[in-house]
Amino acid sequence: MADIVIEVENLSKMYRLGTIGTGSLRQDLQHWWTTAVLKKENPFFQLQGHEGAHHKDVIWALQNVSFEIKQGEAWGIIGSNGSGKSTLLKILSRIVRPTRGNVKGRGKVSSLLEVGTGFHPELTGRENIFTSGYILGMSKNEIRSKFDEIVAFSGVEKFIDTPVKRYSSGMYVRLAFAVAAHLEPDILIVDEVLAVGDADFQKKCLGKMRDVSQKDGRTVLFVSHTMQAVNNLCDKALWLEKGHMREIGAASAVVNKYLAGLQHYKMNESWDNPEEAPGNEWIRFKSIELVPHLEDENDPIDIRTPLTVRFKFWNMQDNVVLNMGMDLFNYGGECVFDVPSTTMLCQKGLVEGECKIPGNFLNDGSYYLSLMVVKDASVKLFYLEECLSFDVADYRGDTNWYGKWQGAVRPRFPFEIRQSEMVLQ
Amino acid sequence: MSTNERKWDWEIGSKTSYWGWSLPELWAYRHLVANHVRRDFLLNYQQTVLGPVWILIQPIFTLVTYIVVFYKLVGISTGNVPAVLFYFSGIVLWNFFNDSFGGTAFTFKEHAHVFSKVYFPRILMPISALSTHFLRFLMQLLLLVLGTVYYWLFQGFELRFQPWIFALPIAIFLVGTIGLGLGLIFSVLTAKYRDLINFVNLGLRLFMFLTPVIYPVAFISEKAAWAQWLVQLNPLTPLFELFRLSLFGEGTVTVIQLAYSALFAIVLLFSALLVFNKQGDKLIDVV
Repeated sequence: MADIVIEVENLSKMYRLGTIGTGSLRQDLQHWWTTAVLKKENPFFQLQGHEGAHHKDVIWALQNVSFEIKQGEAWGIIGSNGSGKSTLLKILSRIVRPTRGNVKGRGKVSSLLEVGTGFHPELTGRENIFTSGYILGMSKNEIRSKFDEIVAFSGVEKFIDTPVKRYSSGMYVRLAFAVAAHLEPDILIVDEVLAVGDADFQKKCLGKMRDVSQKDGRTVLFVSHTMQAVNNLCDKALWLEKGHMREIGAASAVVNKYLAGLQHYKMNESWDNPEEAPGNEWIRFKSIELVPHLEDENDPIDIRTPLTVRFKFWNMQDNVVLNMGMDLFNYGGECVFDVPSTTMLCQKGLVEGECKIPGNFLNDGSYYLSLMVVKDASVKLFYLEECLSFDVADYRGDTNWYGKWQGAVRPRFPFEIRQSEMVLQ
Repeated sequence: MSTNERKWDWEIGSKTSYWGWSLPELWAYRHLVANHVRRDFLLNYQQTVLGPVWILIQPIFTLVTYIVVFYKLVGISTGNVPAVLFYFSGIVLWNFFNDSFGGTAFTFKEHAHVFSKVYFPRILMPISALSTHFLRFLMQLLLLVLGTVYYWLFQGFELRFQPWIFALPIAIFLVGTIGLGLGLIFSVLTAKYRDLINFVNLGLRLFMFLTPVIYPVAFISEKAAWAQWLVQLNPLTPLFELFRLSLFGEGTVTVIQLAYSALFAIVLLFSALLVFNKQGDKLIDVV
């Protein structure tokens, strides 16, 4: 059985909002004099009508977080902004103290909360490798023996004796990460490295982290907003929400729940009374619905999921030739596609229809769609704007590439390679 | 549970301790200190025409100013010691105090960005600042010694060997100790109270006049006896006198005064280390 290397017990961290302390020595002395020496209630806040201010102006960045990490595990810590992820990492890295609870651990910890900690713009790349290495806790011999490797990894060989202030931002980040990537701690703590660097470099970073955790058997804690990376790199995941532990367990299960909880979509809407339904004198919508075809209804919609859009509307005219248009927009507001339906001669009454969006077609992202009713294939009768919205999560299967997948769509066209000739030796 | 019986290597709790130093840990980071000292020298003199010569030019210019203002215009007597040597010794030692205090008094404020991103023993930053300033001081001291030799050989300044010369390192050590001790305490205070930053700069300038930098103690007891107690209360006073006594054989200092300074320095540094250690971890939330 693997050893437990980090044990976190009832960890809580409180921050005061606004200015911390009163900010000036005179006020602090006055406060100390009245509360500690004269043993009176603090008059300072009361005078200004701030009764109980210290109860309200407090935020718990973490509350009662407990977990255990075993040797060689890779953990992903996920959650929305302000959920306490960074605070947790800061406590584990010994940068801030918890308000309550404690952490016990074994082995050397290195944390990488920022790319380029200790870098100085005036110094050359060579000097910065040493400065940054020392600050991150490497020894002189360690840096010397890995110096060439670090330089090669960063790809800035030519500029190694140039002050880093003349580097491009990409070069700077690459060099900084290269130093950090060659740390050899027992426990590595990483905060959102993927936010920096170009696609190629991100790939390199993640590959390195995979090596660290899988080949070298080190323990890795990793905060990320890139669920795909967490899914692929981590065995376990912890989902924090407003400082509380929401879920803990196998990475894929936690990530799925997180994504499902995150999706803020309007999947269906219906109107019973035509007078209140959206529309005009010719058209009134009765219902619209987006149906994802999922094996488990708790799963999030991902790029593999086929979707069906169903709708019903009241047609108020006899003998009219109608067809529909469906526009899908991504959250940048760009139209991904605009598809027309078949055309039909309709009578007064309910008209219904559906449109199927196949799986393995949309790219990951957030989408909304609009429906249009057209007469005689040319006159727009009614346009129901932004009536449905949904998110499509990423899914990559077996790939080593975790950057943002480009393109408005991500179709799976038949695409294969063959060996047409072989050179025999 | 066999796994839990093994001892933990480290523990992080909510309480900060007064005494958390571990010498092996500090030793493991020795290269960081060396690297920072090197870095400070490189940064200060990179892209300057004269480079490290500035370390010597700065006190020389100060010397010229002091000679003109305090010696020529005000007419402060420097006893048997040539005015140039007297003022230069004062300037060099005062600079050391000034830098070791000023260089450490803003530790948390200056290094907040690094402190909030990575852990290492916080005391390393003031230690490396102190080391940098000590090296600069040594260079200036060398110039002072050369100047003294010159005055002895060519200007007929009588200089006899006397055992006080061995007290020189003590004077320097105690001045550095007081500088660092005050610096550490102020580093905690300036992180909490911004209004102290101005006070530190102003206070340092005023403090210099209470220290026998530009006048000998003998002068103050003759000409301004009313201020004598203030000057004598200053723990730096005996150290400056001792510094000159050991170099030039002339200074007013008693063993009791020295003991007072030494005790002050050691108690100050000790309590400063306690405060620095206790407050260090909490301050990251504040700065």
